[in-house]
Amino acid sequence: MNKSLIDIFVEGAKKGLHINLNSIIPNLVMAFVFIEILKITGLLAFLGKVFAPIMAIFGLPGEGITVLLSAWLAMGGGVGACASLFNEGILTKEHVTILIPAIFLMGAQVQYMGRLLGTAGIPSRHYPILLGICILNAALSMLVMRFLA
Amino acid sequence: MEENKQHSPTEPTKLTVPWYGFVSLIFAILFFSGIFNNVSGGLKALDFSALLGKFGSVQGTNGAATIFTGQAGLGARDGFLFALSLAPSVMLALGVVEVVTNLQGLKAAQKLLTPILRPLLGIPGITGLALISSLQSTDAGAGMTKSLREENQMTDKERLIFCQFQFSAGGTITNYLATGSALFASLTVPIILPLIVLFAFKIFGANLMRLYLKRFSEEEVK
Repeated sequence: MNKSLIDIFVEGAKKGLHINLNSIIPNLVMAFVFIEILKITGLLAFLGKVFAPIMAIFGLPGEGITVLLSAWLAMGGGVGACASLFNEGILTKEHVTILIPAIFLMGAQVQYMGRLLGTAGIPSRHYPILLGICILNAALSMLVMRFLA
Repeated sequence: MEENKQHSPTEPTKLTVPWYGFVSLIFAILFFSGIFNNVSGGLKALDFSALLGKFGSVQGTNGAATIFTGQAGLGARDGFLFALSLAPSVMLALGVVEVVTNLQGLKAAQKLLTPILRPLLGIPGITGLALISSLQSTDAGAGMTKSLREENQMTDKERLIFCQFQFSAGGTITNYLATGSALFASLTVPIILPLIVLFAFKIFGANLMRLYLKRFSEEEVK
């Protein structure tokens, strides 16, 4: 071993700081602004009402749909929307616990179609089934978490 | 040419992992599990949340204690301060992951995983390295999957199953421990539990794909 474990830890901590500055902060600012826009325009309350019956299956308020939609675009967006709704008192700790695996299981699919499926050379006609299984994964995980939360 | 072949990253070589690889893997699991959070004494030093500590409190508007991000913030400013408050958590988590990786903890996981990949996911054991890498970086996993297919180490069907595994919760460990940390303080369960659920569903989803592909021949999925 050339480097000491201390140097290696610092190396990893630098990576963490880089992710925080370049990915987490911009994504969370975006998500908090997004939720703020939805709130000011009244769209959040509207979405909350429309999706209340569906989200109730998973033990979540209707507003939870915004977390899933944001997650689908970017994991950081989903996490940010979830944190923002928690800060606003719309989601409780139980709700966050139910949502957290789903945010990742269906997270960033829009980006990963290119970055993963495209790079690995998967023909695009298989994308719908690949996407469908991820969304099913997310839905089932919320049912499981409902009992664990 | 021959030399190149021997050093190909996907060449099946006998993987040897030193004892500390396994020790560091077990340490990582215990560290993030929260098992040691409620113990008193020295063992608490092995717990993620204990080492993460806490921010000092400041007085909020109504006299209640709050952390430096304050109470009742809104919009971009609130998002920024909240995101900034996550830096120590991400740095500690990735620092520890880096140490565990360096001590060959991930190699140990790969070694344990390789013989069970065929029964568990229906993909060849040689994908072990790509699978472990995909848990750290989606892009690394994608690149290695592409070269495994090009070297004919797996079939088109196996590639679809493997991609399904990677596609749901891509970059699992890094994304969960870094981005997910924003929600760790708001969980009612230990932070490792949602991670276990993630892995369970990654495996479940890949097996759904495996089942779905049974109806098709290799030619049909090309």
